[in-house]
Amino acid sequence: MKENKVKEQSSIPVSKVQRAAKFISTGAKVGGNYVKHYAKKVVNPSMTKDELHNNNAEDIYNSLSQLKGSALKVAQMMSMDKNILPRAYQDKFTMAQYSAPPLSYPLVVKTFQKYFGRTPDTMFDTFTKSAVNAASIGQVHQATKDGKKLAVKIQYPGVADSVSSDLKLVRPFALRLLNMNERELDHYMEEVEGKLLEETDYELEVRRSKEISQACSHIENLNFPGYYEEMSAQRIITMDWIEGKHLREWLETNPDQKDKDRIGQALWDFYHHQVHNLLQVHADPHPGNFIIQNDGKLGIIDFGCVKVIPEDFYKGYFSLIKKDLLINEEELNQIFYGLEFISDKDTDEEKIYFKSVFKEMISLLGKPFHVSSFDFSNDEYFEQIFKLGDRISNDKMFKKSRQARGSRHGLYINRTYFGLYNLLNQLQANVKTTKPEWLESRTPEKVES
Amino acid sequence: MTTAKKASKVDYRAKIIQGYIEYVLEHGQEPPSVFKFAKDLKMKEEDFYSYFTSFEGIKSAVWTRLFEETLGNLESQEVFKEYSAREKLLGFLFTWIEELKKNRSYLLASYQSQKNTKGVLPMEVKAFRDKFKDFANEIILEGKETEEIANRPLISDRYDEALWLQVWFVFQFWLKDTSPAFEKTDAAIEKSVNLAFDLMGKSALDTFVDFAKFLYQNK
Repeated sequence: MKENKVKEQSSIPVSKVQRAAKFISTGAKVGGNYVKHYAKKVVNPSMTKDELHNNNAEDIYNSLSQLKGSALKVAQMMSMDKNILPRAYQDKFTMAQYSAPPLSYPLVVKTFQKYFGRTPDTMFDTFTKSAVNAASIGQVHQATKDGKKLAVKIQYPGVADSVSSDLKLVRPFALRLLNMNERELDHYMEEVEGKLLEETDYELEVRRSKEISQACSHIENLNFPGYYEEMSAQRIITMDWIEGKHLREWLETNPDQKDKDRIGQALWDFYHHQVHNLLQVHADPHPGNFIIQNDGKLGIIDFGCVKVIPEDFYKGYFSLIKKDLLINEEELNQIFYGLEFISDKDTDEEKIYFKSVFKEMISLLGKPFHVSSFDFSNDEYFEQIFKLGDRISNDKMFKKSRQARGSRHGLYINRTYFGLYNLLNQLQANVKTTKPEWLESRTPEKVES
Repeated sequence: MTTAKKASKVDYRAKIIQGYIEYVLEHGQEPPSVFKFAKDLKMKEEDFYSYFTSFEGIKSAVWTRLFEETLGNLESQEVFKEYSAREKLLGFLFTWIEELKKNRSYLLASYQSQKNTKGVLPMEVKAFRDKFKDFANEIILEGKETEEIANRPLISDRYDEALWLQVWFVFQFWLKDTSPAFEKTDAAIEKSVNLAFDLMGKSALDTFVDFAKFLYQNK
């Protein structure tokens, strides 16, 4: 049932094939730019490479933004325009991994020998010779042992090594295109690089998976696979096979509204508990990581990307979401400074402008938090978000500003909430939007956690 | 191998090979003379010659040993028999690289500094090459039977040579590889073998040649 993961993963933008085609056409264009460059250079030897780089950058950026369509818009807006860049990087990075052909069985055998000194057929009762599913940086084989069905994830060799070089590759384009200075760019890049590197550490993933699934085990209608440390290593993870349907497949079976609400509620509760109680969150809520099991429970897999939320950031970020923003101007300013939405480098005019923009945006994004239950099937709400995103990103003030806005921690938190809202919208679920006590209160008392 | 005589013979051979490797490891170069080397091993020079006639011979024996251990290891894996031709070559290279790893310092000392490893194949590797080609020919034959490899006149007779070049390429790549656990070499093997088999398999090229031939004959 997991076979569809690759397809699922790209369901936000377009299908995998289309994405691949897009990248090929970009490649062809970039190649064409080089041809043009050298042709022109024959005529005019003084021509610099700047023009070439510009052409390349435009083509690459064009295809990146086309790829994501409206998904990008929301991301753009939620992460304040310039932060989308890391997203583009990320997508490009995962894209590169998608195009990697599956590992051959001899290499799988070798990987096992390296970490366990044994071959897969001696470790398990059965083991599929070819992969049943591609994960973002590896592939999944199905195995059985002692009557249990297992999923064994194996990472492609050299991925960890290529993270930094892959990111460096796209960096010059990003600088030019996003009108951001180098230091500001690095500020986000560090965050992305760190997360990507973490994703390649399977030992860490097993540890976190166990930790979070245990901490969330009390939540209703959720199910987590068991992880087997003794059969996992730096590049291999063994866990229970989760039987069931992916979100989209499940929706095709026309489930009752009641069931949809139940799944949606389980999702919301899962994120609520992580964000507000654990202060670390499964930051990759794309449909491929959720499986609806035959008993109606929601199975959650893949804890590769976990964001630990710093306490300062948490308080600032969520106090903005409170419905009756009764915080006085000074306090609000402080939060905005804390979250790096505005800084001393801004002019007064800029400060006023950005503060109003952020307030508008946050009150819109915080809407589900302002009511006791929220209907995510409400497409109008999402329309509103798109529109605001469009308006902001086309605003002159915004384009002019050379500053990176928003704390680096916001990057993954925004991504998480964007993903969650999107999932709930797909589910058309009506969810009781629980919030921690301190967000519920209507008095502007000091925040405690 | 069970008779005492043979065992002692193997011992001596092994002792010389081991002694030679250690010498190279410690001194970074081969011993100045057979006489000196034999003396260090507490052997008579003439006894040395009953096993090897030159250092070249020892080096060659190191390579042969590498090959045989690789093959032995490979064939002991149950699944090897079920492998397709492509997987067999992959399996060979992955196992071979593991064997190489055990001797990396020696191989680096002997082959890294040589500028000419790309152009001219060192004499002592020839025995290894011949053994590999025999192995490769078996794979190719099998591949042709299962139609994994296309039978092309003239060209397909040279496939063993092409696969050998690939092995040598992997060796060069591995010598220079600095990635942790030589992961890059793994990737290089995977990608180059896939390319080789894609090229050897039936492809658009064959159809193209066929079409071109048709046009030529009918113009």
